[in-house]
Amino acid sequence: MDTATTTAHGHTAGDHGGGYHPTGILRWLTTTNHKDIGTMYLTFALIMFFVGGAMILAVRAELFQPGLQLMQPELFNQLIGVHALVMIFAALMPAATGFANWQIPLMIGAPDMALPRLNNWGFWLLPPAAILLTLPFALALFGIGDGAIATGWTFYAPLSVQGGIGVDFAIFAVHILGISSILGSINIIVTIFNLRAPGMTLMKLPLFCWGWLITAFLLIATIPVLAGAVTMLLADRHFGTHFFNAAGGGDPILFQHLFWFFGHPEVYILLLPVWGLMPHVLATFSRKPVYGYKGQVYGFVGIGVLSVVVWAHHFLTAGLPVPALLYFMYSTMAISLPLAVLFFCWIATMWRGAMTFETPMLFAVGFIVLFGIAGLTGLVLADVAADAQYHHSYFVVAHFHYALFAGGIMGVMTGVYYWLPKWTGRMYSETLGQWHFWLTVLSFNLTFMPQFFLGLAGMPRRIPDYALQFAEFNAISTVGAFILGISQLLFAWNIIQCARGHGPQAAGRVWEGAEGLEWELSSPPPHHSWAVQPQVK
Amino acid sequence: MNAQLFSSEELERRRAASRRLGWALGAVVLALYLLGFFIQR
Amino acid sequence: MKRYATTVAAFLAVQLAGWTCAARAEFNWNFPPPATPIARDTLAIHNEFMLIITALFVVVFAIMIYSLARHRKDAGHAPANFSGPRGALQWFWVLVPFAILLFIDFVLMGIPAFHAVIEMEDTKTRADMVVKVTGLQWKWQYEYPDDGIRFMSNLTTPPEQIAGAVAKGEHYLLEVDNPLVLPVGKKVRVLLTATDVIHTWWVPQFGVKRDAIPGFIRETWVKIEAPGVYRGQCAELCGKGHGFMPVVVQALPEAEYAAWRDAKKIELAQAAAGADRAWSKDELIAKGKEVYAKQCAACHQPEGQGLPPAFPALSGSKIVNGPLLAMDGKPLPDSHVDRVMNGKDGTAMQAFKNTLDDVELAAVITFERNALGNQRGDMIQPAQIKALR
Repeated sequence: MDTATTTAHGHTAGDHGGGYHPTGILRWLTTTNHKDIGTMYLTFALIMFFVGGAMILAVRAELFQPGLQLMQPELFNQLIGVHALVMIFAALMPAATGFANWQIPLMIGAPDMALPRLNNWGFWLLPPAAILLTLPFALALFGIGDGAIATGWTFYAPLSVQGGIGVDFAIFAVHILGISSILGSINIIVTIFNLRAPGMTLMKLPLFCWGWLITAFLLIATIPVLAGAVTMLLADRHFGTHFFNAAGGGDPILFQHLFWFFGHPEVYILLLPVWGLMPHVLATFSRKPVYGYKGQVYGFVGIGVLSVVVWAHHFLTAGLPVPALLYFMYSTMAISLPLAVLFFCWIATMWRGAMTFETPMLFAVGFIVLFGIAGLTGLVLADVAADAQYHHSYFVVAHFHYALFAGGIMGVMTGVYYWLPKWTGRMYSETLGQWHFWLTVLSFNLTFMPQFFLGLAGMPRRIPDYALQFAEFNAISTVGAFILGISQLLFAWNIIQCARGHGPQAAGRVWEGAEGLEWELSSPPPHHSWAVQPQVK
Repeated sequence: MNAQLFSSEELERRRAASRRLGWALGAVVLALYLLGFFIQR
Repeated sequence: MKRYATTVAAFLAVQLAGWTCAARAEFNWNFPPPATPIARDTLAIHNEFMLIITALFVVVFAIMIYSLARHRKDAGHAPANFSGPRGALQWFWVLVPFAILLFIDFVLMGIPAFHAVIEMEDTKTRADMVVKVTGLQWKWQYEYPDDGIRFMSNLTTPPEQIAGAVAKGEHYLLEVDNPLVLPVGKKVRVLLTATDVIHTWWVPQFGVKRDAIPGFIRETWVKIEAPGVYRGQCAELCGKGHGFMPVVVQALPEAEYAAWRDAKKIELAQAAAGADRAWSKDELIAKGKEVYAKQCAACHQPEGQGLPPAFPALSGSKIVNGPLLAMDGKPLPDSHVDRVMNGKDGTAMQAFKNTLDDVELAAVITFERNALGNQRGDMIQPAQIKALR
């Protein structure tokens, strides 16, 4: 019962008579519409991306030269940890969830997510959590407490048992963020299982949905373990327990096992949605079908399963027994196999296509190359013997930024440019997009490539000041970081202009080669998305 | 495949199934959380 | 097409220029020169692996770049419509890279890696001596159990250099007062532990990095091949001083090492003997001032004002101004002496009885009670501390 007219916000005029349609703040607070909720997730993620970015620019400014110029080590330690928590939990994950909310119902021909009210709660947990995470900074300015968590995002005990109230704030924030992710994951799983349009079997499910399906199961399996670990930490801190205290019969390394049991799948949680959307983009701009659909599905499943049994490669220097070292080394290397399948399929999708290079495709290609560097250096890190040199050095910092920025964030940017015209009904500025791409790729490499060599030269991570032989590469890295940070303003501007309704109108099938149910709807889609289910052949 | 499109009864049945599965998944989450407290190295 | 070619060419040119400039400056591109068999092994494995992944990168992306150039719409290429391998030849092209990767992973990389791990973890076979390394916030303690030698190793870079007030020395942030001294050519088994939080002992030229975990003992080994001074750092975030607790190892030829060891034993015996005589208050305060500056000022600040709430002020502190011992000479829980000797559980205040000797403990306690804005007037003798142990 939807009419043909739609406003720029996908809000149909004259829907059902007597329907509840608040406006203003109340609309956003109470919405159960997957598109509105997706928009809120994405907006939140964009804001937090800049918050986390500002923090690390302060860090890189301090690291521009040897010596302590701008801040004391205490503040430095807070900034690096909160930067990571913000980027992972408040930027990347909400962005991916925003994609899921917007796209999954459109792609499977459903009117909305299966549990729309749960969806709303999942989002609204995020702003309080973000406040909890960043509030200690502000409190410290007024002399209350000594700042935010300063243990790094990994919370290792016993340092985290020692820490001030910033740790408690972070523990609560993590609990809330975890619950939000769980609620979102439950919704995604039940929606995909139960609300696919007639004719859409699981093996016809778009790869983006498959990526998120695996992600959702990983979240459900591992977030409880993280929650348990930080609850035990809270207990050690305040309730006299000794989970992580040897003097009381506990073990600090237990914390690392629990944390990384979550932590390793977490990185695939961050990447799987991106791996799911890549084939869509590549197929569209190559004007060819996706290559190796089944291979990619099995690849996702294989990576998901393997990701849960390799966690100790994050702490190979902690003194694990030799059989464990060998096992974790070989199992970690095994992940390169399904990952290679994905790379193969991405390139094979492009092969003998008729490619054009609009901004989404530029980001997709950039992603493949730079994420390739991440994957290859990951293979090298798996070697236990050499890891003695890499572990907790800038080599690792470079590796995971190639994985999570060039992989995760550039993947998100790919998705945003690809779907923004669908969401807003307006084309973004292609010129601005291209500038954004080239500036990002150039400055990203300038920032992080030197860090590989800093690690090899012997620079540990998480230090506010460093010996003189590390000076040149640090300076280069800082220059790159500032260019990288400022370039992202182009991205934000492009998005804002689109959302405000500037730019040429976008068709339903925004891109010439785009395939999939979402492209059969208008841009933006009608209020109830698929009020009448499509038939899937 | 010439399946029927979903009627609103069908949709309601699917939504109920979703709610049941949702609770079940939530129970799994809670169980994993509690299990973690008993892990010793 | 031309526009893209120009853009890509410009991009590559900038990269080339940048990296050429970089190569001409004094940058390091690889591990520092190896000084132990493990480091040598690790370097070889690393080089082999880097070669392999570079080859993989170049081959795969050459194929992709070829595709980007040839299979474009504006070059007139019509899109194919395959979605998977069709026919035996295509399955071959799919499975061969997979098999190659399997071989690379588990044979080419996997087998040398296996041997390196076994070698690296074998700390006990033919070990010639043992040293014990203890990580503390924010310094290392080195102990030679067989010789009864134990001392602390603190960063000696002056704060003025860190603040930028004076020029930085050559070994900025990598210099200590008492390096770990080891003999060349002997297999040294290194035991590690910590007193407070997890630290990590890392000397890149040794190829060795191992966590120091409170309440546990970990181990590794080194066999240093040439005399010299080798520098590394703590590699596990351990609080605000994490970047300021370097590892410095001095490797001496066997004869010189023996001479050092004997001289050190005598030096430490003399210091310990100090505990058996009576010290005047002024002597204790003077000595205590040195100890305070090195061990306590980092947290409690040079004037004793502290950084509350994490690091309480000592000036006017109830504990510092409280009684030293109970009436019968027994220790009082939560007293000044108790706090310094036994630390405070769940905080950064460590148990200094393990790391300071009787003279140092007596001196620093006396100093804190008679300076930093406190005027208790009393003092405690090294012999009394010794009796409390």
